[in-house]
Amino acid sequence: MIPFDFDYYRPESIKEAIDIFYELDKQGKNPLYYSGGSEIISMARVNNVQTEAVIDIKYIPECKVLKLEGNNLIIGSAVTLSNITESKLFPLLGQTVARIADHTMQCKITIGGNINSTIIYREGVLPLLLSDSLVEIATKNGIITMPLKEIFDRRVQIKRGEFIIRFILDKKYSSFPFFHVKITKNEKIDYPVVTIVAMKTENEIKVGLSGVCTFPFRSELIEKELNDANKTWQERINNVIKKLPEPIISDIYASNKYREFVLRNNLLKMLEMLEGDINVESTR
Amino acid sequence: MEFTIGRNIQRKEAWDKVTGVAKYTNDEQTIGILHAKLVTSTYAHAKIKSINVNKAYKLDGVLAVIIGKDYNFLTGSSIYDRPILAVDKVRYYGEPVAIVVAYSEMIAKKGANLIEVEYEELPVVNTIEQALDKNSILVHKDLGKYKKVIEDVYPEANTNIANRCKIRKGDMNVGWSCSDVVVEMDFRLPQSDHMAMETRTSQAQIHPNGDVVIITSSQGPFDVKKEINTYFGVDESKVIVKTPLLGGAFGGKAAVQLELLAYIASKAVDGRRVKIVNTREEDISASPCHAGFKAKVKLGARKDGTLQAAELTYIMDSGAYANSATRMAQSAASSCTGPYHIDNVWCDSLCVYTNHTYATSFRGFGHQSFTFCIERTMDKLAQTLGIDPIDLRYKNAILPGQSSPTQVKISWSNTGNLQECIIKLKDLIRWNEGQVIDIGNNKVRAKGISCFWKTSNSPSDAVSGVLLTFNSDGSININCGAIECGPGTKTMIAQIVAEKMNMNIDDVNIKFDVDTQTAPKTWKTVASMTIQMVGSAALRACEDVIKQLKDAAGIVLRCSPEDLDIVNKKVYVRHEPNIYVDFKYLVYGIKLPGGNSIGGQILGRGSYIVRHIAPLNPENGIGKPGPAWTLGAQAVEVEFDTIECTYRLIKAATVIDVGRIINPKLVRSQILGGMCMGLGLGTREAFEYTDKGILLDTSLRSYKVMHLGEQPDYLVDYVETPQIDAPYGVRGFEEHGILGIPSALANALTAASGIDLNQLPITPEYIWMLKTGGKI
Repeated sequence: MIPFDFDYYRPESIKEAIDIFYELDKQGKNPLYYSGGSEIISMARVNNVQTEAVIDIKYIPECKVLKLEGNNLIIGSAVTLSNITESKLFPLLGQTVARIADHTMQCKITIGGNINSTIIYREGVLPLLLSDSLVEIATKNGIITMPLKEIFDRRVQIKRGEFIIRFILDKKYSSFPFFHVKITKNEKIDYPVVTIVAMKTENEIKVGLSGVCTFPFRSELIEKELNDANKTWQERINNVIKKLPEPIISDIYASNKYREFVLRNNLLKMLEMLEGDINVESTR
Repeated sequence: MEFTIGRNIQRKEAWDKVTGVAKYTNDEQTIGILHAKLVTSTYAHAKIKSINVNKAYKLDGVLAVIIGKDYNFLTGSSIYDRPILAVDKVRYYGEPVAIVVAYSEMIAKKGANLIEVEYEELPVVNTIEQALDKNSILVHKDLGKYKKVIEDVYPEANTNIANRCKIRKGDMNVGWSCSDVVVEMDFRLPQSDHMAMETRTSQAQIHPNGDVVIITSSQGPFDVKKEINTYFGVDESKVIVKTPLLGGAFGGKAAVQLELLAYIASKAVDGRRVKIVNTREEDISASPCHAGFKAKVKLGARKDGTLQAAELTYIMDSGAYANSATRMAQSAASSCTGPYHIDNVWCDSLCVYTNHTYATSFRGFGHQSFTFCIERTMDKLAQTLGIDPIDLRYKNAILPGQSSPTQVKISWSNTGNLQECIIKLKDLIRWNEGQVIDIGNNKVRAKGISCFWKTSNSPSDAVSGVLLTFNSDGSININCGAIECGPGTKTMIAQIVAEKMNMNIDDVNIKFDVDTQTAPKTWKTVASMTIQMVGSAALRACEDVIKQLKDAAGIVLRCSPEDLDIVNKKVYVRHEPNIYVDFKYLVYGIKLPGGNSIGGQILGRGSYIVRHIAPLNPENGIGKPGPAWTLGAQAVEVEFDTIECTYRLIKAATVIDVGRIINPKLVRSQILGGMCMGLGLGTREAFEYTDKGILLDTSLRSYKVMHLGEQPDYLVDYVETPQIDAPYGVRGFEEHGILGIPSALANALTAASGIDLNQLPITPEYIWMLKTGGKI
């Protein structure tokens, strides 16, 4: 039960969506863009979100795109996680999002929604960060395009009223050898104790982590350590742990110690696999 | 005529359920119904300084707000200790503090959000150890003044101890002196949730004529009737409680809680019909849960493995209110050794208050908790003695002529054949392959076993009844007070009637909805007693109609009733079967050739009350806790990663002595459901509290239960040693699948990891922590 009434808007163009937002905002309705809606439902029923109007962006064609175009793979922000997995266009992303929530929810949750989530894991962003994805953002002054990493620092950092239209990445990233693992407390469908997403491009390993800190991240410092060929795997991993952007978290899913153990173990597995160029199915 | 007992009869309500037609309590839509929403405590222990309801009252559509002071008295099922709504202080996170009644659920929720409660935080009793600390703060400072609901509960004034049961059997000095080996271990089991798919819900309406109608998802509608009478002084004759199908219960719907809230909500709005429905979060945190448990087990044995002595301390975390946890502590005491013969037993079984969600009955009624501790210690003993765990259990399995902890004399009829269960289990789980097998890649396969037993611990006056009526075609309708919680209980009761009446199961109907105004009383649908108790009443009701049918047929067929038998809705002459009369000519009276009618409608009645149950003696525990035990043996096989400490469930097996299999598929699915629940407790289910007693996992996002895709292969087999005084020999089996699974899992993982795993749930992190001390 959502304990408040709200209006529903269904724009069919980017401009219309932006216009509606600013109009509603002017009326003080605290509008929210949404597509899958699972987060609004789950948060509203426990009084964690309040709005008088929602703007459904999944009828905007640009937000629903999922296709190869020339050398690019284009993924609309309103594409569902299950669509991404089933399309097989980007196997690493497909595997990563196939481990977010359960299948019923994957048919609702969208990639844009996952990346914008208030829940701290947002694992869907990691393969996009690894593939140096660009992002198109709808703003009051038109569409702007920029590298995803410039607007994703711990979480999506765009202005109120703006929304992500789609992600654009070089299709070559979808065919590099990769590694994905999501370790949970003891149940397949659960938040990650540790999620590692990695790929080996022409000459280096790129890696993103979730569940380790209070936000998902890809870090150049960490990649530098992991790719340091002068060091043993064990030394590289020791250095990675030292370069984490914040202390490892402790909560009901795992203690920081156990997270570190799992992270070390699986970084080692990742190195074993990627330095041998073998694709690994996600485990557990 | 085919026999019905032992056949796979489809559930009578199956088609309604699979097509979505079946109606549960909250499915009924009623025009004009009002909605109630709870305001619940955000502290585990705090003084309520003030409750400001003004803003809520000002909200359009809010009709009433009720707070604890409006009903300042105590309720309970063993000790009167719980206010309907918190008064002066809250004792657990989630405790109902106020109710808002409104025109719609949305307004009610908005109203609830507007209630301002000012608290003054108090230190919390957050563990069993803290509860027992001599300097502990008291959850109930007036415990010594509280009235008791039942006589055999022994709260200790000025402590947090709500009950203490003692078992003193034999002579401990003799026991220890006969023991070559003594092993001792400590255990800890968390609180958890019942997690029925259907969250609890109740409706209440007070009619102008004074009738109070409660519609509720309850395992004990007759208890609801009694409690409404006790607390509100409404004549029992005016209280009508209705319960449709339940979407799972597991003991959690035996407690009376929402019914009282619905009643006071209705009373606040001039008796209009009010509905209250738990959200999942409320069902977890506000309504009662599964008790936590802590134990110390010390077993002594001779070198050959023969058990000599058991010293057992069991402590149940009942949370903020006692409810039935006091009786579960007693239940754990009464079967405290597990299904083993031990001459010298000392057991103290306590129930303590903490500032946790309060507990109520849960599948196993305490047996699932102590079984874990006993069975882990049995494995430790086997290891210490160098005896195969199977052999140790076989050697000590309880046998006729021996006695239970409460000194009930054991017979085949009142227990069953554990040794045969163990032998069958050994084959089923392929024990001879070896307990631990290295399969390479840092992985081992390991098996663990456990035995179990359980009795009902039902009160000595638990009663049930059955009424039978006929349709004009001679088919039968069964009316009883048993609730269908999901396992197919009522279908099995119909099978018992069909078997006794020698008629087709399709000609036996059973009413699913229960209405206390028309259904004969059934104590409660709990304790794995329903098939036995209602089945026994049903047999008597059948005997009653058989006599009437034969008397009537004797007139028609011109013979003595003794010459007659019945089959397939006919009464026939035994030695000349071609002379018969159909039921349909008898059941509504006999129409004679001249046009006159004699006789009358045939109605059957049967009742049953449990016999010879004796309360346990407060000093030594001597007494009879239930009509019989049901016992068995279980195993779990895992694949364990010795480095990551992760594991996969491969197999789970149960061999249970069910006395008689009424319906193989229904019995199997019931046992299997219990096993799955046991795996949930073993692997993941636990309430997680902060150091301030705030419950963290109040939703299914964080509280995990077993899912499809994670299930092992389930193996179920049976031994059938009839219980002589039960219908067709059937034993209670409904709860039992859960009992030994957590311990079998722990025994498997202990064998695999080499580390004693004495807590639940067993997460990879827990194993890793013990193995490494948290060192990386």
